[in-house]
Amino acid sequence: MSEIETFYEVMRRQGITRRSFMKFCSLTAAALGLGPAYVPKIAEAMETKPRTPVIWVHGLECTCCSESFIRAAHPLAKDVVLSMISLDYDDTLMAAAGKAAEDAMRDTIEKYKGNYILAVEGNPPLNEDGMYCIVGGRPFVEQLKEAAEHAKAIISWGACASYGCVQAAAPNPTRATPVHKVILDKPIIKVPGCPPIAEVMTGVITYMLTFDRMPELDRQGRPAMFYSQRIHDKCYRRPHFDAGQFVEHWDDENARKGYCLYKMGCKGPTTYNACSTVRWNDGVSFPIQSGHGCIGCSEDGFWDQGSFYDRVTDIKQFGIEANADKIGATAAGVTAGAVAVHAAVSALKRAQKKNEEK
Amino acid sequence: MSRLVVGPFNRVEGDLEVHLDVENGRVRSAEVSSPLYRGFEAMLIGRDPMDALTIAPRICGICSISQSAAAAQALAAAGGVQPAPQGALIAALIQAVENVCDHLTHFNLFFMPDFTRPCYAGRGWHRRALDRFTPAEGGAQRAALRARAELMHILGLLAGKWPHTLAIQPGGVTRAPDERDRTRIRATLRAFRDYLETTLFGAPVEEFIALATPADLMRWSRGDAGLFLEIAADLDLDTLGRGAGRYLSFGAYPLDGGPVFAPGLWQDGGLAPLDTAAIAEDLSHSWMLGPTAHPFAGDTRPDEAMREGAYSWCKAPRLNGQPAEVGALARQVIDGHPLAVALAGGGVLARVAGRLLELARTQIALERMAGAIRPAERFMIRTPPVREGQGAGLVAAARGALGHWVRIEGDVIASYQIIAPTTWNFSPRDAAGVPGPLEAALVGTPVAEGEETPIAVQHIVRSFDPCMVCTVH
Repeated sequence: MSEIETFYEVMRRQGITRRSFMKFCSLTAAALGLGPAYVPKIAEAMETKPRTPVIWVHGLECTCCSESFIRAAHPLAKDVVLSMISLDYDDTLMAAAGKAAEDAMRDTIEKYKGNYILAVEGNPPLNEDGMYCIVGGRPFVEQLKEAAEHAKAIISWGACASYGCVQAAAPNPTRATPVHKVILDKPIIKVPGCPPIAEVMTGVITYMLTFDRMPELDRQGRPAMFYSQRIHDKCYRRPHFDAGQFVEHWDDENARKGYCLYKMGCKGPTTYNACSTVRWNDGVSFPIQSGHGCIGCSEDGFWDQGSFYDRVTDIKQFGIEANADKIGATAAGVTAGAVAVHAAVSALKRAQKKNEEK
Repeated sequence: MSRLVVGPFNRVEGDLEVHLDVENGRVRSAEVSSPLYRGFEAMLIGRDPMDALTIAPRICGICSISQSAAAAQALAAAGGVQPAPQGALIAALIQAVENVCDHLTHFNLFFMPDFTRPCYAGRGWHRRALDRFTPAEGGAQRAALRARAELMHILGLLAGKWPHTLAIQPGGVTRAPDERDRTRIRATLRAFRDYLETTLFGAPVEEFIALATPADLMRWSRGDAGLFLEIAADLDLDTLGRGAGRYLSFGAYPLDGGPVFAPGLWQDGGLAPLDTAAIAEDLSHSWMLGPTAHPFAGDTRPDEAMREGAYSWCKAPRLNGQPAEVGALARQVIDGHPLAVALAGGGVLARVAGRLLELARTQIALERMAGAIRPAERFMIRTPPVREGQGAGLVAAARGALGHWVRIEGDVIASYQIIAPTTWNFSPRDAAGVPGPLEAALVGTPVAEGEETPIAVQHIVRSFDPCMVCTVH
């Protein structure tokens, strides 16, 4: 593999200065929640390790994940990450076309066998032998299996690849199926959300490229560093929830005052994501800040849970959440603790869902 | 005669395949196939009407605000309500921001990189095209991505997140901006104007808008727009992929004093009244089952047998039984801008120039909208749940006219039909055998000996800025 450049060489070739490179290393350390001591470690890794190739493929989807990704907050981080992964194969952004593009993908697989990361946006529909999503004359599911065979790990971008998302909504006309139900023999990291936050995407990929391993995952296979906190717990409107101050109608005075949106159907109390901390569009805002409740788009099955404006009314569920809060407080910032709590709550929620279905 | 299958296309949103019959080095006929189907219209049936506000935008990650706006307007129409005027203003503003971003993405990321290909090495402009438009590295690409991300702060501020906002509702928007937000929006728009004037146009946007004839246009030499026009002249992009000159627009940005760009139909070189009741979707060459029907009466049942004779999941929308081209050029022609009118019926050059013109004009419209924000007023009116009724939401997505038609019965959605811009442009043939706009535009395109993915075909396809995920949905 010695003919592969290091990350640093790639960056230099892209005209990124040493100063910007060091700044990037600091940013990365900060984004990943690592102390300043990690900065030289990251720098060293990038100077000495060969670049990890990435193949990025698209199934049934709306391209919102790519859109989110290319808009990543810090232009430097985005430039560096883009140049790092070089998108060896990305059918939305690359210059080659048609057969040349298909060849590029085969070449990349051949050249980096067992060494590349496969990033999947969207999912394969399995009905009618996969004929609802055709890439290069073949069902996408075949392209996916082919690309997955020699990948060292797979990133499932967004709710589509992770869980199915809206195209899997009842009656799931095309039997849209998440990646982990089709590829069974590879490590898969799920980065759900519709789309995921840009900084979460760059954070995950930077971590994997820098440290050459998967970040710590929760029980659902999501990176714990971004999915271990409830929207509700970090929501800036939380004090209004605790004070019992709620928006009752979209246009009421309480809406203007920025009261809690729980009664308008906000799913923040049952959703784990970084929206209320990292926020969107360069940290400007997030759905709750725009006056609309969270719809829980990073949770499995969010598209088929009744109306998006139904209140999370189940008192029992709130009991569980209150417990989770207490345990969470004891764990006080210990990630592992938060993950365990999350897993427990999820297990309870699953049981609850089963009961409701009966 | 030989048959050529071109695809998959990259740098388009979603998947696309084009089948070409080539004779004597020219395309004799073309069939455009949309190979991706998800079934959104089927999923919406039986759901709470308000679910459309969350589900429909997820048809598309790049024009999701247009989908939100169409869904909200369809629900408002079904309930017989009008949004609060300031709410309509904010919805228009964020939709216009999205459209500007899409035009920018198309020009810099999807369309121009074709001119960096090795087949153009040796052309006087090739070196500069490489510098500006090499994917992920070109200076124009980097500048555009940065300008776009910064402009999208407005979407963060007013829409909560992008893509896939939830802020647009039938009664207005959930976010009431305050005085500070207004100031920030205006500052963001000023910064975006700087980008347009230093990089894309290289001159005040008013100067570009003042261009009235194609000859004036071709003399424009500044900014990345100038580089495009130099290339367009060298490669004669005006004659490449010419359209039939029949354009449709639902108008853009309905505000208190009327829409920013007028709705209408353009045919035989002049304006004609637009009767949306005369829209019908023909399924004769589509893997869909059912009769030709207006979207209020139509449904979506895929033909799982994928019968012979049909070749696309895309339906064939027709207006008065005829195809129509939609997009920025169509909107600008119908709105009566002299340069656009002079370009009507044109090919690759006209479509891309129409988009640049709309970008410049929308910047002015955005500045005016931001100035009209009145923080003290209402941004949302209370709308009762709709139990029965039907309504259409007809809006301007970046790629052209977008329509949602909803029927509500017994508190739930009984039928939901969507015609997206690329459904019009990339439609298959109809029962009379009349090809869709792209199919027609491809006829006569030169194909060089041994070319497997003819470069001219690529230019024409991308000049429409296709969005394949919207096309079939």
